[in-house]
Amino acid sequence: MKVFIDPPNSLVLFDLVERFGHEPLSSMAAIQERIDKLEIDMPPMNVTIDDVIKGLKYAGIEVPSGVRGRLALWGPLIDEAEAAIIMDDAPFAFGCVGCERTQSMVKYLLKRRGIPVLHVEYPDTDDEAKNFVIQAKEFLEGLK
Amino acid sequence: MSEDRETRLLMISPGSELTPDQLARMVHSMSPSVTVKETCYGCLVEGPREVVREARDRIREMYPNEVFSKVRAYPAGDPRRCRAQHGTRPGFAQLESEWEFLSKVQHGLECVERGEGPVQMEKEEKLPVDRFKKICEANR
Repeated sequence: MKVFIDPPNSLVLFDLVERFGHEPLSSMAAIQERIDKLEIDMPPMNVTIDDVIKGLKYAGIEVPSGVRGRLALWGPLIDEAEAAIIMDDAPFAFGCVGCERTQSMVKYLLKRRGIPVLHVEYPDTDDEAKNFVIQAKEFLEGLK
Repeated sequence: MSEDRETRLLMISPGSELTPDQLARMVHSMSPSVTVKETCYGCLVEGPREVVREARDRIREMYPNEVFSKVRAYPAGDPRRCRAQHGTRPGFAQLESEWEFLSKVQHGLECVERGEGPVQMEKEEKLPVDRFKKICEANR
């Protein structure tokens, strides 16, 4: 099954989803699609005006362009997803490398899709990490 | 995603005794058709998708809980991202953050392998208003 991961570029979630036999939907795949295109329309990242228009499907025109840009990449992945794992309060999803508004929109879009979603807390201790792995394993094995 | 090329990032957990040099040599010896770039956290493996996935599976068989992987959008040494060519590396802060967290995940995976159950965690409760009031008035 196709499982959307949030944060969409998380190494740990990507690895766990693959390890337990599913296909992770990550932002790396969406970016690679743009990079591997032979025609480079908008160097260096090849983000075109079409992407901006795509973003409008997921967020209104009054929403900041950064949020719309992110959703132009992640929105189609959410549409494609059959399940999702969300890591709540991941420190790297906050601040200059993340975007809290986009996180909220992603959670809303996933809820609206009505697919099975697992919310896990970012683990700070060994015991929390153990619970996190057990939860992820049970969820992913249950999807089969 | 493109069907022919896959670049995969292999990261070694801080709880492992494996070194990036050993990992890179091991991947290189597995298949001559992949490009391997040794990095500070592990290595980058690039090549045809099937071959890269085969290498990942073999590494996972040998080090099931010590080496973690994810795909990378940009090719290894891409001038838009490679530090050697003054490219920006915006994802590195996250990689560093996740690297610190990998030893805990490794511990979790080892516990799951042993068949251990979840740990009951004490839930932090909110401070009752009466108690908060007493604390505020304690030194009045």
